Amino acid sequence: MSRKWIIPFFMAACLPFLSGCWSSIELKELAIVSAYALDKKEDGTYVGTFQLINPMNVPGALQGGASGQNPSIATYTATGDNPLEVADRASTIVSRDLYFAHTSLLVISEELAREEGLSSILDAMERGIEFRTTTKIVISRDVKAGEFVQVLTAIDQVPAEKAIKSLEFTEELYGENIATNLQKFINAAVSTGKEPLVSGFSVEGDIEKAKTMEQLQSSDGSATIKVNGMGVFKEGKLVNWIDGEKSEGTLWVLDQIRQAPVNIDWENHEDAISYKVVRQKTNVATKIKDGKPAISVHIRAEGDLRVIEVPVDITNPHVLFRIEGALQQKIQAEAKAAIEVAQKTKTDIFGFGEKLHHSEPKVWQQFEKEWQDVYFPALDVDVTVEAFIRRTGMRNNPYLFDLNKKSE
Amino acid sequence: MSYRKLRKKMHYKEQIPDSASDTQKSIDTSITENLNFIKQKTGNSPDIIIRTLAISHDPKVSAAIIHVDGLVDNPTINEFLVQTMEDSVQEKLQDEDLFTVFTEKVVAVGSLETVSDWDTLFQSLLSGDTVILLDGKNEALIASTRGGERRPVEQSDSEITLRGSKEGFTESINTNTALVRRIIKNPNLWVESMNLGKQTNTDLSIMYINGIVDENIVKEVRQRLGRVDLDAILDSGYIEQVIEDESSGLFPTVTHTERPDAVAGNLLEGRVAIFVNGTPHVLIVPAIMIQFFQTPEDYYVRFPISTLIRMLRVFMFLISLIGPAFYVAVTTFHQEMIPTDLLVIIASQTESVPFPAIVEALIMEVTFEILREAGLRMPNKISATISIVGALVIGQGVIQAGIVSPAMVIVVATTAIASLATPNYDIAISARLLRFAFMLGAAIAGFYGIILGLIMLIVHLVSLRSFGIPYMAPFAPLIPKSLKDSIMRGPIWSFNERPKSLNPQNRVRQGTDQKPLPPIKRGMMRAETKEGDKNES
Amino acid sequence: MEKAKISTSQLFIVMILFQLSNSLLIPLAMRAGRDSWLAILIATAISIFLFFIYRALYLYYPSLLLTDYTEKLIGKVLGRTLAFLYILFFLYSAARVLREFGVMLLSFAFPETPLFVASALMILVVIYTIYKGIEVVARTGELLFVVMLMLAFFLFLLIAISGLIDISNLRPTLEDSPKILKTVFTETLYVPFGEIIVFTMIFPYLNQAKKLKKTAVAAISITGVALAFTTILNISVLGVPLIERSLFPLLTTIQSIEVGEFLERLDVIFILALIIGGFFKVAVYTYCALIGTASLFNIKEPSKLAYPLGITVLFTSMVIASNYSQHIEEGLNAFPIYVQLPFQIILPVFLLFIAFIKNRKK
Repeated sequence: MSRKWIIPFFMAACLPFLSGCWSSIELKELAIVSAYALDKKEDGTYVGTFQLINPMNVPGALQGGASGQNPSIATYTATGDNPLEVADRASTIVSRDLYFAHTSLLVISEELAREEGLSSILDAMERGIEFRTTTKIVISRDVKAGEFVQVLTAIDQVPAEKAIKSLEFTEELYGENIATNLQKFINAAVSTGKEPLVSGFSVEGDIEKAKTMEQLQSSDGSATIKVNGMGVFKEGKLVNWIDGEKSEGTLWVLDQIRQAPVNIDWENHEDAISYKVVRQKTNVATKIKDGKPAISVHIRAEGDLRVIEVPVDITNPHVLFRIEGALQQKIQAEAKAAIEVAQKTKTDIFGFGEKLHHSEPKVWQQFEKEWQDVYFPALDVDVTVEAFIRRTGMRNNPYLFDLNKKSE
Repeated sequence: MSYRKLRKKMHYKEQIPDSASDTQKSIDTSITENLNFIKQKTGNSPDIIIRTLAISHDPKVSAAIIHVDGLVDNPTINEFLVQTMEDSVQEKLQDEDLFTVFTEKVVAVGSLETVSDWDTLFQSLLSGDTVILLDGKNEALIASTRGGERRPVEQSDSEITLRGSKEGFTESINTNTALVRRIIKNPNLWVESMNLGKQTNTDLSIMYINGIVDENIVKEVRQRLGRVDLDAILDSGYIEQVIEDESSGLFPTVTHTERPDAVAGNLLEGRVAIFVNGTPHVLIVPAIMIQFFQTPEDYYVRFPISTLIRMLRVFMFLISLIGPAFYVAVTTFHQEMIPTDLLVIIASQTESVPFPAIVEALIMEVTFEILREAGLRMPNKISATISIVGALVIGQGVIQAGIVSPAMVIVVATTAIASLATPNYDIAISARLLRFAFMLGAAIAGFYGIILGLIMLIVHLVSLRSFGIPYMAPFAPLIPKSLKDSIMRGPIWSFNERPKSLNPQNRVRQGTDQKPLPPIKRGMMRAETKEGDKNES
Repeated sequence: MEKAKISTSQLFIVMILFQLSNSLLIPLAMRAGRDSWLAILIATAISIFLFFIYRALYLYYPSLLLTDYTEKLIGKVLGRTLAFLYILFFLYSAARVLREFGVMLLSFAFPETPLFVASALMILVVIYTIYKGIEVVARTGELLFVVMLMLAFFLFLLIAISGLIDISNLRPTLEDSPKILKTVFTETLYVPFGEIIVFTMIFPYLNQAKKLKKTAVAAISITGVALAFTTILNISVLGVPLIERSLFPLLTTIQSIEVGEFLERLDVIFILALIIGGFFKVAVYTYCALIGTASLFNIKEPSKLAYPLGITVLFTSMVIASNYSQHIEEGLNAFPIYVQLPFQIILPVFLLFIAFIKNRKK
């Protein structure tokens, strides 16, 4: 045999070993998990609910398929002592390999988050090679995580997608919550100078009906998935909820606002003028004053006027200055309130400690250990706000203003 | 080849009885004897026309005109040979040598030679020349009368361009060399001819431009042609296969073309062309990989366009190489890399398919190869039927029956079109073969298999040489100056030097100031108008 | 030695690819925390001095391999022993890289495949390559380099536009300067920079000896900058804690990319970089062992050695450690100090000293 045939021969000799094709798996042997929900039973075991995509029923996926008549997802529930064991048990029920690489949503029940914390769960997720660190985490509020993933949604065929979209939408449009993925959560949880925030979700309406096709056949649906507040974590455990304006204030300080509306009162009319932020920048500066750390937060907002329910002459620059002043006060109040709440719960969700570490690494070492419990609550935080009105919409003065003139 | 093998081969060669030895007998003085010999040698073939006539009555001297019917240009023979010979029949033979009389006065054709051995005589006779034998002479006159019915110069079917010359080579070697000479009117365009093939005695010429081409390449070509000892050469493909560098034959290291402009362009870069009689395909050596992605038309259109098109071709080649393999790898090993929505679509399609992805891919690929082969060999009318069967019966039927997923059909179809879009058939067919290897690699080890395969392919390609020139030049080894005419096509005015990899004797190609210099722009110049100027506004 | 020659640009590319290969992928100099990029830059600067030691040796014997001139310098027995040890060192390094590569590949892309099969497939390609000689290794490098360059560019573009970079992760700098230096001298200097010792086996092939200094210094500096840049990118995207926890920071960085709805899940880029890098490093190490063995034992056809040496590397890689943690532990603690330090620094300095004395006598 000539030498040049050795390599082909060697390769051919390897073939019998390769017949296994170990890591290969056909698509139809996979169960694509779109969401994974974890609850906790009284006896301490985990209950996992898996939202699987049923490709045959996803409309548009297959021409002439059974789409639209059956739900495009299926859910399976299994119990176990840790999240991975739960997944293994579920595989035996599903008769396919549960495939987590496309899991976009991890739902943890409020109960589990409060009592057990997320640390052990997230370690399993992070270690597993399939789970992606960009998977979003949410907390199911006032509802079991398992039931949350069973709710069908009308427009988005895969409910997990719907949850993520509404999360991103409210983050962008209202600035009331924050999309946290595994990686961000763990980074914040590990850092001594920062604590993570996770959005909460709740279900409004009749959950039982929402699990059936009835949910999709009516135009209003029986129940809806809704973003509801942000959960504050400390040492991996859920400690508090931030809702409404406080959450907006939190996001102002976190520099996470993209398009939030701000409503201000005007001459005894409540929420008379609505302002929409289009550009925002928050700078956090740290300094050491008398051996104590001090934080100054500077918020700068630019935006447009959206709704004016009172007669104001907005062509007059002085009036605009006054509106800007009111806006500044309002934002400042929101931010301060949010900071106060955080200080009360002794959780530095803003990452002030991290900022201090970056700017004053030497001093930080003496604060590091007791930052969350001692130094952060006593922190002196100064908030300054600059708000600018850049445009006033398509009209100058509101027609109310002209109406008023008429009546005069 | 090892020395032992070589010696064995030489030994073998000695044992072959020389088939030409019985013709070694030299030409006799008796014309009857000679004619009998010719008849005997050719087995009295009726297409050998022998015409005897007397050219002198006293003493009676006869002459014979021998030619092969169909190979010769009949008017030439009739007008300039037979006619003049009959006109000059002499009553009495003069002292002058008959040969001199003939060459100087009688025969009125372009080229005339004297031969004295049978080998050359038969060679010329069978090439279409006319042999004139004279009584009492042991030599023969050969008059060049080659002609006969040939295919006219037409557009080439296999290399079609929108722009550029429509001329294509024909089967006649003389026409072909002439077509190139018409383009390069330069005495330095040298042609060397030889005769190869023990039985076919095929004419063969090598052409190059002296002063540009690297002497070593010409020497190498001569040497490799010199050791050709084939029975028959029916096409330039025979020559190609015995002189190319790569023995495994996966990649072409010799390129061929039917277009005179392509030959001219290559000669001017310092390459050597090999013409073989009887085929319109002219070989060009040395060939490098990137040449197979270039067409003559690239140089005729503006450079940004041809650069993009060349990149597209290389991309197409890659698709036709690893398209199905990529799909198999992604769907069976790396599902996490597909965006979720796409994965759901593909998953829903494969749900009812009974085969694993690799089997599915193999079924479709083999089906496609069968269809292509069937369509290629069939007359046009039938190939329309084949397309219908292919498209409707197999394409649609296979999907509706749920045997193959639509996604797979898309992949295979894209691959097929990509493979057809590669301009050179030789390189496309290598990709076609290797595609199956890559598919197996992907089925065994996913992307790992594909990438290892690609690395192996790269190692193989960079180790190749064509007539001493690295096959992957100018990329590996990197020759920055030649890059502008590789996968890119720089502007013509920047091609100041010939490709360095070919080591041409004369590096300078053109003047260095060929960039067009249009008159100064009107746009943003300060106006310096004089009074009375009638500027356009 | 083979007859072949390589050009300066080829040497340049081979050096860069060789050094980058696996160092791009693993957490480099992570003991220095968020200052690891500084450690890398310092190590780069020092490794340029190392290169000058190797170059000085090369200048004494410009046509000889390292394994040849040891014999001339310290006598037949000692010199040949040392040469043999160097060959073993190259083989062992090749095996280490192969092991590392195999584990990386399997742990995230092919979890169920046996390590032996993955390594065997790789070593087949390596054998095929080194069988063809240095010229083919260098040219393959040229093409693979282009691929790597395009990948790097594409990747950086994506990371930049996906807005993942958070420079504040890099602050504070110089938190613990002694730790940086410690990392440099116990770890970073040896991998990847000290590994250029293998190029003492390749320098003699260079066709323009005069340009060696410029080429090699450029290659080393560019490698250093590229590695530091990658580290900065990783830190600024992931933050130090996450990098410290992840086996392959670059993979985690790539997985974080989400551009539009479509450009995400780009793991294939990592697989590509991993295989190219792993292949190239194993090939260069094994080639140097091959050419050293051939000249040490006076073997006429060096390419014949490709099979036995390749298979040796394969089996060595299987037996050097029982699990990856042990392998990494050895790689971080024992290997640099007890093997790489003497072979990469102490012995060359010693050899240079002897060469200096010997040549001064003349």
